[in-house]
Amino acid sequence: MKKRIISMVLVLTLLLVTTFGCSSSQDEKKDSSASKKDSLTLAIWDKVQEPGLRKICDEFTEKTGIKVDIQITPWDQYWTMLEAGATGGSLPDVFWMHVREIEKYARADMLLDLSSKIEESSEISMDNYFEDVAQVYQYEGKQYAIPKDIDTIALWYNKTHFDEAGMAYPDDTWTWDDLKVAAKALSNDDHKGFGSRIKNYQEVWYNLVYGNGGYIINEDQTKSGYDDPKTIEAIDYFVDLVKDGSSPDNTVTAETDLIALFESGAISMSLMGSWTIGELTGNDYVKENGAVAEIPMTEDGTRVSIYNGLGYAAAANTDNEDGAWALIEYLGSKEAQEKQAEYGVTLSAYKDASDKWATHAEGFDLSPYINVMDDTLVFYPHSTNTTVWEDMSLESLVDAWNGTKSTKDACTEIAEKMNQFLEEE
Amino acid sequence: MKKANRNEFIWGWLFILPTMIGLMVLNIIPIFQTIYQSFFKTGDFGKGNVFVGLDNYIRLIHDEAVWQSLINTIKYAVIEVPFSVIIGLLAAVLLNRKMKGRTIFRTIFFLPMVMAPAAVAMVWRWMYNSKFGLLNFLLSKLGLGPVNWISDPKIAIVSIAVVGIWSVIGYNMILFLAGLQEIPADYYEAARIDGASSVRQFFQITVPLISPTMFFVCITRIIAAFQIFDLVFMMMDNTNTALPKTQTLSYLFYKYSFMQNNKGYGSAIVILLLAVILVITFVQMKIEKHINYD
Repeated sequence: MKKRIISMVLVLTLLLVTTFGCSSSQDEKKDSSASKKDSLTLAIWDKVQEPGLRKICDEFTEKTGIKVDIQITPWDQYWTMLEAGATGGSLPDVFWMHVREIEKYARADMLLDLSSKIEESSEISMDNYFEDVAQVYQYEGKQYAIPKDIDTIALWYNKTHFDEAGMAYPDDTWTWDDLKVAAKALSNDDHKGFGSRIKNYQEVWYNLVYGNGGYIINEDQTKSGYDDPKTIEAIDYFVDLVKDGSSPDNTVTAETDLIALFESGAISMSLMGSWTIGELTGNDYVKENGAVAEIPMTEDGTRVSIYNGLGYAAAANTDNEDGAWALIEYLGSKEAQEKQAEYGVTLSAYKDASDKWATHAEGFDLSPYINVMDDTLVFYPHSTNTTVWEDMSLESLVDAWNGTKSTKDACTEIAEKMNQFLEEE
Repeated sequence: MKKANRNEFIWGWLFILPTMIGLMVLNIIPIFQTIYQSFFKTGDFGKGNVFVGLDNYIRLIHDEAVWQSLINTIKYAVIEVPFSVIIGLLAAVLLNRKMKGRTIFRTIFFLPMVMAPAAVAMVWRWMYNSKFGLLNFLLSKLGLGPVNWISDPKIAIVSIAVVGIWSVIGYNMILFLAGLQEIPADYYEAARIDGASSVRQFFQITVPLISPTMFFVCITRIIAAFQIFDLVFMMMDNTNTALPKTQTLSYLFYKYSFMQNNKGYGSAIVILLLAVILVITFVQMKIEKHINYD
């Protein structure tokens, strides 16, 4: 009898633990977050930016007494995490927003409307930021995020390879034709002149597409620009680089990214986004051999850099709305934006606040990334469902890169499919 | 029902209840939700789903990529399962004898199973790399040209299956070892006295008596092979020439559900996968009649 009672008690506790375990832990969470009015969570995806951001957040804590807990989730899991949080009603207080996702979250009322707060604020004025980045985080006239940073493109080159070939380094007078000639001259059995890689569209071929007068998607986001002759001509330029042996072919570039190729001296020149700087400037081989120049311009002097920028958004259902706004307001202020550049976190979205970023990495002059801001900046082409047509076009361009289809045929096909996707949006 | 019987009945259910709840919440209910979802054009955050009837399935039937990926999945299973079972069985038989360093070898064979599949895939991805990879470096030392292990559409799926075999041999071996230890030593003793060679012993005693384990290993391995995702996802970039010939159904499911946020179509693909696995398992269960359980 005794044994029976003991086993019954055991089974009952087991049952209680399994069935009520989940619900009780949820209650606890609510209690603890309610009692911690003086702390906020900030969700980000880039661990390279964490140390600098930590410093800025500590300064925020000093000013306001509100603690900031930075949570890092790698890019691949970040959106899964955020989506689960949004579906379950437990988004972080403040988090990074991306162009590709903003509309989806804004449309579903997941984000805190910041419009009225911006009007009342003395720190924030949307005119201070690069216009496209500010605009892209609006939905139906309401501002849902404050711009955090922008990124630009510049040309990295291997000084040693240029010296060996007895050629002059790239500079701000370079045109795309100069690049092609140099790439050909630099190519030999050991290394290729340039990295022409499908996957690095924002860093590589989008720039010439817009520089050449073509486009990827029209301004209304209703029509694909892939069948535009100028777009095709620009893409063909990069296919040609592969064809005449000035760039590793798609077999190599599909398996290895441009950073790894450049860091191992397998390519002499590569267009790199400002977000890769942390990785490149920390590499010993690049420290010894690498340097930066402006992205080339077209024959008529147009220099285009595609750019993009993140924003700080807050959860609509945060239980510390004032705190969340205070943090966003601080992070968007001139002071914090200047620090962001100074600490080498990223280029800042606040106009003219990025100058100190140019010298943050010892031994490198990164000013080409800042100089290009005076030329034509074109905002990253996007629509509601960017990923769908972006992935499709990358996969379809493989045939062009491999030479199994002409660039024109591949691009025309992409345009057809993309227009269909855009219609469904 | 007698009192004792009823008691047993209640207690039995009580004891399996936690597992049952887990299965219901984590497996059974989601299966039906997925089937339900496959008839919708899904909205964001589970809101605003639009009923579209069989549209997702009609699109699936006309989608060449789906059928190609079904072929890829079958190819993968056809390569991975037999090799991993045969090599696993051989390793188990060899390591079931009294020999020096037996435990060490068993541990070595089992090690790949302990590693995270994503980490395994990353390491192999670099070994297979056509430009910097270890395999092509060794080939060049032998004076042979480089092979595009994971970029050549003809061999990429084989390269991936090799990694699959390598990582699962240890697991199969442990199961077979357990099966082998069930076989009484008397049989082998009697066979030896009768003068049977060890090869004959293997085919006449070991193979028939290990068939229940063999059956279990085959069923679970085939199901797992059909669900292969991590190796393909980690090793293949979406601009890889060989991707159309290597992407599996699970990969397509992930691509549509989580990368392109089209959970309705993703669900339809995974239901196709479920149907395929169901049919294969059903056929295997029919074969079970011939298994020797004594």
